[in-house]
Amino acid sequence: MSMIDNVMAGFALVGNVDAFLALAIGIVIGVIGGAIPGISATMAVALALPFTFPMQPVNGILLLLGVYKGGIFGGSIPAILIKTPGTPASSATILDGHPMAERGEAGRALGMALWASCTADVISNLSLILLAGWLASFALSFGPPEFFALILFSLTIIAGVSGESLLRGALSALLGLLLATIGLDLVYGTNRFTFGNPNLMGGLNFIAVLIGLFAIPEVINTVWNPTGHVGKVRTLGSKWVTVADYRRCFRSILRGSFIGVFLGSIPGIGAAPAAFLSYSEARRTSPNKANFGKGEIEGVAASEAGNNGVAGATLIPLLALGVPGDVITAIIIGAFMVHGLQPGPMMFVMNVDIIYGLFIGLILSSGLLFIVGSLAIRGFKPVADIPKRILMPIVLVLCIYGVFAVNNSIFDVGVMFVMGWVGFLMSRYHIPAAPFLIAFILGPLLEDNFRQSMLMSGGTPDILLRGPITWFFWALTLITIIAITRGTLDKAREKD
Amino acid sequence: MSKRAIQFQLGIGACLACLFLILYAIPHWISSPSNMRNIVLSPRFWPSIVAGLTGLVGLGLLVVSRSTPHDRGPANTPIDAPRAGLLRLTGLAGLMIATFWLLPRLGMVWVSIPAFLALAFLARTRHPKTALVCAVAVPVLLYGFFAHVAGIAIPQGDYVRLP
Repeated sequence: MSMIDNVMAGFALVGNVDAFLALAIGIVIGVIGGAIPGISATMAVALALPFTFPMQPVNGILLLLGVYKGGIFGGSIPAILIKTPGTPASSATILDGHPMAERGEAGRALGMALWASCTADVISNLSLILLAGWLASFALSFGPPEFFALILFSLTIIAGVSGESLLRGALSALLGLLLATIGLDLVYGTNRFTFGNPNLMGGLNFIAVLIGLFAIPEVINTVWNPTGHVGKVRTLGSKWVTVADYRRCFRSILRGSFIGVFLGSIPGIGAAPAAFLSYSEARRTSPNKANFGKGEIEGVAASEAGNNGVAGATLIPLLALGVPGDVITAIIIGAFMVHGLQPGPMMFVMNVDIIYGLFIGLILSSGLLFIVGSLAIRGFKPVADIPKRILMPIVLVLCIYGVFAVNNSIFDVGVMFVMGWVGFLMSRYHIPAAPFLIAFILGPLLEDNFRQSMLMSGGTPDILLRGPITWFFWALTLITIIAITRGTLDKAREKD
Repeated sequence: MSKRAIQFQLGIGACLACLFLILYAIPHWISSPSNMRNIVLSPRFWPSIVAGLTGLVGLGLLVVSRSTPHDRGPANTPIDAPRAGLLRLTGLAGLMIATFWLLPRLGMVWVSIPAFLALAFLARTRHPKTALVCAVAVPVLLYGFFAHVAGIAIPQGDYVRLP
């Protein structure tokens, strides 16, 4: 099929009211979810996932992408107003956004956050469209050894950069890999940690694990410390963002967007480091660098451009290689799987209409985000005022229904509860949850590709280094480990 | 608990987990065909690698914990009354066990309503009337969506069945 045919096939899928509504509803849910401290974009996507089961695949995935994009922007609302980032990615926005709110310029800060977010979103989506197809066609030549090396590299970088410690990140990833071994063996069909329970033979349900890991710990935390969230809400003020403000910040927005795209396309980095890097670059090059941290609008623009630039780019490894770029795309991969789709290079061959449908939807999403975001800024108060101690019981009930709906299985609800306590303990022990979840998803793929490689070579490990692609990924893995270890040692020396 | 204590406990935990997996769990809880020619293809090989790496990471954490400076401050934000907090957590664990056990017997809607109220009580809500309204409305609305829109057979229980 030619490019035009593909675009037309994509239009045929998403050129209807249902797809448009799914995207718009997703953005609304995302902005609301991101704006409520304690919900976060990740939890909003996880909670929305079960509601997409009865939908057409492309509409369901568009809804989740809408939640993702809306959630990342929505996180800036509480960051600016109550100094509580709705998502970790919005942490950098606090630095200048909240001082602006204290000065009575919350409306101006939120307006700039929206404009910067939408600009970065457009750039990120265009990068996805330009790069994903090229990367997928390259990945079509990958065999099991290449995929093994690629997944190992992704896991290394995810474990290394997700938390404050490489070792705790690695421990988290190993726990995820271990949990992924539960079920029937991939080659021989023998039992592994199933204890004769038929519910365990297919392995643990991915959605039960992810909702347990990301939503339930928040519920447990609220019970542990019911008053931990109490904050103070600011008013919007009369000042609003102007075109002159936007033009002044445009260079920082553009730079931040490209930083977001670059970091987002590397699996595991995520939005928070992109926001901080974009912020520090803007501060380094700005003529108003002395104002940064005291309420400089360029700081808000740079951090929001950085974190929203990631949103489209994290889909590049997901769609092209089948490797989720961050936790949210790891959840979105669940939507693909539920609808019988496997993201990766073959999807560009087998389901190219869905790929182009998603591209078209993503382009639309930037415009929709602008409209929904403008309304959300004005109507923030009722959203921010939802009492957390009412919200968490709602989350619990939503989780129970949502997880049951995946397989009509009460056992999965039990798995979710157990994983909730695991997630809570992990947070108390400062073990990042992202490597756990991504390793749990990639674990079977990693093992499968390893064993296929061994079958191909008759058990000789030389095949894992069979050509330039595997060398490339092994070298990247080695460089990553060295760089992260050096960084950790340098930090430790600075502390001494 | 200080950061040093966290690193140390994690290190010990990871080493113990490694030993337990290699010495007991993998040999007893993973079945492997008796005529395996190549150990690399055995169903036990991959979990053994993961277990071995867990042990190495545990040793690493123990080494790092020795070089972590003694920090008297707690690594987690302290709460006002930790004992009451622990009691609430125990209550929540009991609530989850009861919910799981009662779901097939009473039905999802009839279990979710008291679970909602109990959680709002455990979280010491200051809006009991709103909690009561939401406790009824949320499970019923979700039932309506999942049972009638998504076509999912939500458990109805043995006593009161919903349309």
